Amino acid sequence: MIDFHTHTPAWRTASWLGGVPFGADEFVAFMDSAGIEQALVLSHDGLFDATPEANDDLAAFVGRYPRRLIGFGTVHPRRADAPAEVDRMLNRLGLRGLKLHPWLQGFSMHELALDPICEVLAQSGGILLSHDGTPPYSTGGQIAALARRHPSLPVVLGHGGLHDTWREALAATIETPNLYICICGTPPYAAREILSRAPSHKVLFGTDAGLSDRKSQDYAVARVAEIDGWGISDEQRRAMLVDNPRALLAAGR
Amino acid sequence: MIVDAHVRLGRGREVALEADQLLATMDALGIDVALVAPDERCIAYDNRAGNEHVAAAAAASEGRLIPYAVANPWRGRAALDELERARDAGARALNVDSVLQGFDLLDGLLDPLLDFAADAGWPVYVRTGTPPSALPLPLAALARRWPGTPFVMGRSGATDFWIDAAPALRHAPNLYGDTSYAPWDTVLVELGRDPQIGPSRLVFSTDAPYTVPSSELRRVLDWPVDDDARRDVLGGTILRLLDPALH
Ligand SMILES: [Zn+2]
Repeated sequence: MIDFHTHTPAWRTASWLGGVPFGADEFVAFMDSAGIEQALVLSHDGLFDATPEANDDLAAFVGRYPRRLIGFGTVHPRRADAPAEVDRMLNRLGLRGLKLHPWLQGFSMHELALDPICEVLAQSGGILLSHDGTPPYSTGGQIAALARRHPSLPVVLGHGGLHDTWREALAATIETPNLYICICGTPPYAAREILSRAPSHKVLFGTDAGLSDRKSQDYAVARVAEIDGWGISDEQRRAMLVDNPRALLAAGR
Repeated sequence: MIVDAHVRLGRGREVALEADQLLATMDALGIDVALVAPDERCIAYDNRAGNEHVAAAAAASEGRLIPYAVANPWRGRAALDELERARDAGARALNVDSVLQGFDLLDGLLDPLLDFAADAGWPVYVRTGTPPSALPLPLAALARRWPGTPFVMGRSGATDFWIDAAPALRHAPNLYGDTSYAPWDTVLVELGRDPQIGPSRLVFSTDAPYTVPSSELRRVLDWPVDDDARRDVLGGTILRLLDPALH
């Protein structure tokens, strides 16, 4: 399976939800324990302080296991050098996409500064993954509006709308061709509903691993195990865990 | 003794759970008792039908199901009449969902219902996590005005308002957290090791039918806390809140 939402440790910045530090070897050991073949590893420090160094650190982490780990860096969209940094991330550092966390990073998806960033990303075959599920800056409708401005860029809702905006996230995914939905921290009843109503090729799954107090990432292992209790079909499971993430990652290249 | 502090019985928008199914799950997981609330429609609108439904399920359960009472506070005096009827039929706690019921925790509408709960000696469960009208910190401010009433912060602000759970629990000593959805190795450890909170301020709930109940229980069993603390989380605390004299 492919885990479409994990994080590196917060090496420099976190004073909340930091978890314990771990190395790439330990992270891959966690992946093995949960049956995860590949993981999308998102920036963590960069969400608090989006520096080029945070992207360098992420690239070094995923570079230890290039066949297992796929990195998504970040930028602060209002910085003038953000499009150039996205170009560097994808074309020099080998990262595959951009993670944005609008409420944590403090911007709106409607800000026009995002357009040149998304253009570079689309030209480089990258993917945009955004935190979603949380007003005021991270709702599915807001992220879909950005996706409509960049129809050739695959955009992923990183949390399937969480508890409060999953119906909006699902509706946005249905009506927006280039919008995908990653079930991650979404409650099981909502996950089941998303799987039954979203276009079947658009649903992904993530554990949000990397924030645990244990290097073994116990909650992430539990989230994979919990899928057995969702009441979904084998076809839905395989599409979400294997076929869809593989196809989306392949399309970007 | 394992007590599930919050379940909804009936049919929601995307979910359904009936008493026989709930009791079978409880048997399979070793859960002795569950507090049962009416379904979404009955919390929002048809309070009478919901209260009667959970009271009947409880009456037939040989003590394994304990009913919550619901009343939409917009109904004013009729809401209090409804709570009285529910109490006479066996309800032991008040259940509040300010999103389904369409009010703000601090607008005053709920106050007469909280007076009723205080008189009845009921704990009050309030579902939290949805901005802006169902959040941990406004609930803490409300709870401080009824210091003799225990309030359960349903879902503990899951998910992005987990960050407010600890400040809310520190602010109101009569506020209790709920384990549903919360990973032990991120959220629960943080609350458990806080000297002003501690594991005994948390109550286990499955929040069925929205969850996978076995996963909800597994997480609390996996959490490395001492036996006394785990006993409290899994039932000791909620039983004391329901009946301070007996426990
Ligand atoms: Zn994340």
